[in-house]
Amino acid sequence: MAQCVQSVQELIPDSFVPCVAALCSDEAERLTRLNHLSFAELLKPFSRLTSEVHMRDPNNQLHIIKNLKIAVSNIITQPPQPGAIRKLLNDVVSGSQPAEGLVANVITAGDYDLNISATTPWFESYRETFLQSMPASDHEFLNHYLACMLVASSSEAEPVEQFSKLSHEQHRIQHNSDYSYPKWFIPNTLKYYVLLHDVSAGDEQRAESIYEEMKQKYGTQGCYLLKINSRASNRASDEQIPDPWSQYLQKNSIQNQDSYEDGPCTITSNKNSDSNLLSLDGLDNEVKDGLPNNFRAHPLQLDQPSDPSNSIDGTDHVKPASSLHETKKGNTGIIHGACLTLTDHDRIRQFIQEFTFRGLLPHIEKTIRQLNDQLMSRKGLSRSLFSATKKWFSGSKVPEKSINELKNTSGLLYPPEAPELQIRKMADLCFLVQHYDLAYSCYHTAKKDFLNDQAMLYAAGALEMAAVSAFLQPGAPRPYPAHYMDTAIQTYRDICKNMVLAERCVLLSAEILKSQSKYSEAAALLIRLTSEDSDLRSALLLEQAAHCFINMKSPMVRKYAFHMILAGHRFSKAGQKKHALRCYCQAMQVYKGKGWSLAEDHINFTIGRQSYTLRQLDNAVSAFRHILINESKQSAAQQGAFLREYLYVYKNVSQLSPDGPLPQLPLPYINSSATRVFFGHDRRPADGEKQAATHVSLDQEYDSESSQQWRELEEQVVAVVNKGIIPSNFHPTQYCLNSYSDNSRFPLAVVEEPITVEVAFRNPLKVPLLLTDLSLLWKFQPKAFSGKDNEEVKELVTSQSAMIGTEVISEFLINCEESKVARLKLFPHHIGELHILGVVYNLGTIQGSMTVDGIGALPGCHTGKYSLSMSVRGRQDLEIQGPRLNNTKEEKTSVKYGPDRRLDPIITEEMPLLEVFFIHFPTGLLCGEIRKAYVEFVNVSKCPLAGLKVVSKRPEFFTFGGNTAVLTPLSPSASENCSAYKTVVTDSTSMCTALVSSASSVDFGIGIESQPEVIPVPLPDSVLKPGASVQLPMWLRGPDEEGVHEINFLFYYESVKKQPKIRHRILRHTAVICTSRSLNVRATVCRSNSLEDEEGRGGNMLVFVDVENTNTSEAGVKEFHIVQISSSSKHWKLQKSVNLSENKDAKLASREKGKFCFKALRCKEKEAATQTSEKYTFADIIFGNEQIISSASPCADFFYRSLSSELKKTQAQLSVYAEKQSTEDAVRLIQKCNEVDLNIIVLWKAYVVEDNKQLILEGQHHVILRTVGKEAFSYPQKQDPPEMELLKFFRSENTTVSSRPSVEQLSNLIKTSLHYPESFNHPFHQKSLCLVPVTLLLSNCSKADVDVIVDLRHKTTSPEALEIHGSFTWLGQTQYKLQLKSQEIHSLQLKACFVHTGVYNLGTPRVFAKLSDQVTVFETSQQNSMPALIIINNV
Amino acid sequence: MSGSFYFIIVGHWLSTPPVFEMESLPAEKAESKDDHRHLNQFLAHAALDLVDKNMWLSNNMYLKPVDKFNVCFVSAFVTAGHMRFIMLHDIRQEDGIKNFFTDVYNLYIKFAMNPFYEPNSPI
Repeated sequence: MAQCVQSVQELIPDSFVPCVAALCSDEAERLTRLNHLSFAELLKPFSRLTSEVHMRDPNNQLHIIKNLKIAVSNIITQPPQPGAIRKLLNDVVSGSQPAEGLVANVITAGDYDLNISATTPWFESYRETFLQSMPASDHEFLNHYLACMLVASSSEAEPVEQFSKLSHEQHRIQHNSDYSYPKWFIPNTLKYYVLLHDVSAGDEQRAESIYEEMKQKYGTQGCYLLKINSRASNRASDEQIPDPWSQYLQKNSIQNQDSYEDGPCTITSNKNSDSNLLSLDGLDNEVKDGLPNNFRAHPLQLDQPSDPSNSIDGTDHVKPASSLHETKKGNTGIIHGACLTLTDHDRIRQFIQEFTFRGLLPHIEKTIRQLNDQLMSRKGLSRSLFSATKKWFSGSKVPEKSINELKNTSGLLYPPEAPELQIRKMADLCFLVQHYDLAYSCYHTAKKDFLNDQAMLYAAGALEMAAVSAFLQPGAPRPYPAHYMDTAIQTYRDICKNMVLAERCVLLSAEILKSQSKYSEAAALLIRLTSEDSDLRSALLLEQAAHCFINMKSPMVRKYAFHMILAGHRFSKAGQKKHALRCYCQAMQVYKGKGWSLAEDHINFTIGRQSYTLRQLDNAVSAFRHILINESKQSAAQQGAFLREYLYVYKNVSQLSPDGPLPQLPLPYINSSATRVFFGHDRRPADGEKQAATHVSLDQEYDSESSQQWRELEEQVVAVVNKGIIPSNFHPTQYCLNSYSDNSRFPLAVVEEPITVEVAFRNPLKVPLLLTDLSLLWKFQPKAFSGKDNEEVKELVTSQSAMIGTEVISEFLINCEESKVARLKLFPHHIGELHILGVVYNLGTIQGSMTVDGIGALPGCHTGKYSLSMSVRGRQDLEIQGPRLNNTKEEKTSVKYGPDRRLDPIITEEMPLLEVFFIHFPTGLLCGEIRKAYVEFVNVSKCPLAGLKVVSKRPEFFTFGGNTAVLTPLSPSASENCSAYKTVVTDSTSMCTALVSSASSVDFGIGIESQPEVIPVPLPDSVLKPGASVQLPMWLRGPDEEGVHEINFLFYYESVKKQPKIRHRILRHTAVICTSRSLNVRATVCRSNSLEDEEGRGGNMLVFVDVENTNTSEAGVKEFHIVQISSSSKHWKLQKSVNLSENKDAKLASREKGKFCFKALRCKEKEAATQTSEKYTFADIIFGNEQIISSASPCADFFYRSLSSELKKTQAQLSVYAEKQSTEDAVRLIQKCNEVDLNIIVLWKAYVVEDNKQLILEGQHHVILRTVGKEAFSYPQKQDPPEMELLKFFRSENTTVSSRPSVEQLSNLIKTSLHYPESFNHPFHQKSLCLVPVTLLLSNCSKADVDVIVDLRHKTTSPEALEIHGSFTWLGQTQYKLQLKSQEIHSLQLKACFVHTGVYNLGTPRVFAKLSDQVTVFETSQQNSMPALIIINNV
Repeated sequence: MSGSFYFIIVGHWLSTPPVFEMESLPAEKAESKDDHRHLNQFLAHAALDLVDKNMWLSNNMYLKPVDKFNVCFVSAFVTAGHMRFIMLHDIRQEDGIKNFFTDVYNLYIKFAMNPFYEPNSPI
């Protein structure tokens, strides 16, 4: 129970006070009316005695009464109607609201911190009014009239006559059986005669004399002269006089109003007091109109006949409630007691005091004494009589008891003068004068009697009061008998069905229990009384119960909340909306954020509804918002209802303030970090053969790997443009900003190019949401064309389409629990700074069946239905949090976020805009296939474009042709069925010998210093005019590896005008090429042993080329023809084909393998001399009748590109190696002689059947030969993945890489060959010794001078050699020391001597070689040549 | 009306959301109570106060019906870890409910043993 202003010890005596009736003459009433008060009201503020009063109890003990209060009221002859009371209570409660600035108590219980208003003034005023408006009943006498004041005015003609009239009237009311209602305590009621005297108007003398007369007639104790109205009311009330009535004012006015409304049942005293009906009208008018007509000039004019409408008769009681409300409102301005001075106040106070001391208390004292005497005298007799009769009858009539009981409950059992009631009466009197001891004992006795008689209503009343008086006894000799109360309540409620009495009982009991801190009992009591019949009572009691729970020693917070909810529910049923809302709000504190979502939703929903009906729209909106934005467990239908309600409320809010800022909508959710911004036009779809560059689009998923690649490409091209250095202010161009991109800078957008913002929406509800008129909300600061910033920053928001065009999506449907993105466009028409703030849209839902099936995916077909549903306009802001900063220490230790500027683009001046289209661009190629395509460059902007470059990681994939004149037709249409190569028809005779041409790599853009990846596009004028387009041929070569290749092109271009902000622009393209296997070429080169080369001085080589058709899967490919094999080298060239196969065309069917053998020569020295180091010699060996000029585009292009990419790879490998070795030139020299730089180009044609058409595809493969004797492949061999090594825990020994060249390498330093006759006939019988001349040719392969030692002594250590039957010997000098110059050939004449016939191996000479400038280091090695067999025959 | 049950597991901190929630209605009433689902939560939530009080008064994990609202009884079971099982039922059937609680307790223990389950998080 909440804290109250009054303590229970004050409350109960104040609730039960002696009642005094007041009966006024109309003249007296008129006097008081001048103050806008009735007589009873006039006395009200002074009805409490300030001093202590003494009285004597029946035992002549002195008894002190403190703070006695009396209640004076006009006589009302009808019992108050329950309906009226209910209405009154309702108004009292709704009139009392929590104060605005009330400081709420903070109660901490467990995890909960609750703000709870500790007081409940509405409850207190309810209780007060309730107790006051209790109808008097027969079983108790507490609110029966003890006395009656008869009031007349001194201004009356016959005041004494009037007094006797009033006295008669009172007597009539009390004793006439017509009037059952105003209950009187005892038959002879105390009459107290009061003469009212108007000081300002009346004659004082006369009043005094009348008073004297009265004194004589009624005795000094029984009459009083009350002087009031000491000043005229028309005087301006500038004097501040305390207005003690104000606190009663509102209640009174309500009471009055009620009495009007209830019309016939309320009759004011004066109506009855005057028998003459003439005055009745006027009086009625006065009473009724006193309040509404208070604006009249002077109250005195009331005497005049008032307007006819009011004077008709009593029918006008039925006034419309509205006018009464006005009455009530007008009432607030009235000053009460305007004619009263402070002296008058004192007089009234004095009067009350006098009345109580002289009149009332002695009367009470006397009555108690009488009653006591009666009881004492009757006690013995009646008690014995009673019990005797009881015994007599009850013994036999037990079953009748129940019937008796029933009768008791409904009807009156005792006659008014029954002795049992006398006890009760005495008890009540004692109680009223605060003599609780006596009261208790009397109640106790009465209770016993009533219980004996089974008079349950009476018993309950006695029990109740016994309990109360026991509690109030000073010093509390006995504990509070709570069970008395319980029994009383139960009896009232269950047996008597009298809820009003039960309620009073509960209110008292709960208050008492509360004062004893028995909160749980109090709560139980309060809850027990909640019932269906009165919502208001139930609500108030539940609320008090809730307060009990929270005030317990260990607060039961959740019980509190629950009962608050129940109370709120009841309040709302009772129409007390504000209280209901307050209860729900208080309970919300407990439920908020605890995960009891259904409960929370319900509360929020109710709060929203209540707030809405109370026109607290903001609260309503926020409450509904809560329901919608949390993850809800509600069913779809429920959510739909919530949403509709929300929209409805929202609509009302927005209608209230149509010009206000757009409200923020909670739905749908926006994942703002997923917002993507794209600058530029949408990609054009493929147009026939034309295929636009893929560029960047919102459809592409972010891929960090590829974005890194693009970035590298851009850096590369920028570095090339800026002569190798990347400018410090370089930032990669970003066309699409997302959460991964670098958003720390303001992005740059170009004027007249659209900006697309992709907003990610998510619908958390199970109801589809429909957004209509969805567009972006932005702010724009235009920049003047003059260049200087506008001083006054004009901020334009939306709507100004002259500056920025905004695209509006008319309908956007998000299905239940769906995530969907919307792409919204802006078209900037002016330069300046743009800030995209958010989105603005109408939020609505789809009504009816659409929600159920939820298939409304096609927006078009539901258009009609959409428009029917309700929608509200609102906005949602896009606020993107930047990445968390993590650079400095400070940033690491705190949580800071960087800015995210992706929504704040700067619109810059016009830039050229390039569009690239590819024509005839293949999607599938054979490995190595050459295809010709065309690229179209279009400048779609209004600025000229220059510096077009393209960069790719795979430059070997494509070429625009070299600088040499382009012979192929320029337009794509003319190139049908034309070979991609440049060909020349040759006669077939020349086929075995090579045709030689040469070309420099510089011509093909492959220089040493430049990056091969960056290729300038050969635009005809190097500038592309606005709107111009250029088509260029482009050759493609299928990558050597089979599979799907994604090849990225980055086109770079600049404006002709230099722009400070944007230096360049880029365009991306990703080509996807699927390659399938074609040919596999492997080649080896080895030294030719033959030296008898007429022209080749520096040695010659044999080149073996194996070509295998590995294309198996493709059914379409019939066969491959090798049409030409070319060599390209700086030092070597192919000379001729060695094996002339019959198959002239060198056809290769599926899985067939062909072998070619060629002879290669070192280029002539003079050729080499004239050549720059970058000049390559191309030699073509043709198998068909057409020569493909390998030194021209595109063949050479691709050759150079593959070469350079190959070089790159090997350089990377070699760089470490080379560094180490560079110090030792010697070793390098030795190695060099093993190296060869011969490159083989295999050109082929493939015959493919496709769609019953035969196509001829062309292609080329490259093999790069570097080392003699080592096999090289056309495509990189798949490397086996390195086997997993055992983990070593010790340090591997530092394996010293031997700086010595390997044996094999050294062995290649000197090439030897023996020249001798293969068989030699010798007549052994003629000459036993056979001498054979043998020539040993030594040729130096290296470029340095070499010392050679030739040792002819037999030194074979192998056992096999020993077994050779019959050896031979070399004759002559057995060791030669020679020095061979670079690439010198020396022949040595030797003689071999044989003694037998047979087959001999001549390969015994051991040749040691060393570099001449080295000392002894490499003196090793010999030629491990093939056995040189000679047959010696005997002739 | 009779035969409907509502079962909820509440973690031992006040601020945590309910761990598990289940409603079982007699078949023919499946739809009609839809509007009053929040009432169950209200009742269970209010009963927590009494559960917290009663669990110190009893040695058993199973607390007999701790609360009553109109026709609805609230039975509770408090585990050793102060997880509170609360059952709303409208017919008195102590044995059945006790057995149910014990079964649920066994299941809960098994579930809580799961190393990937974080105590007090919704199941």
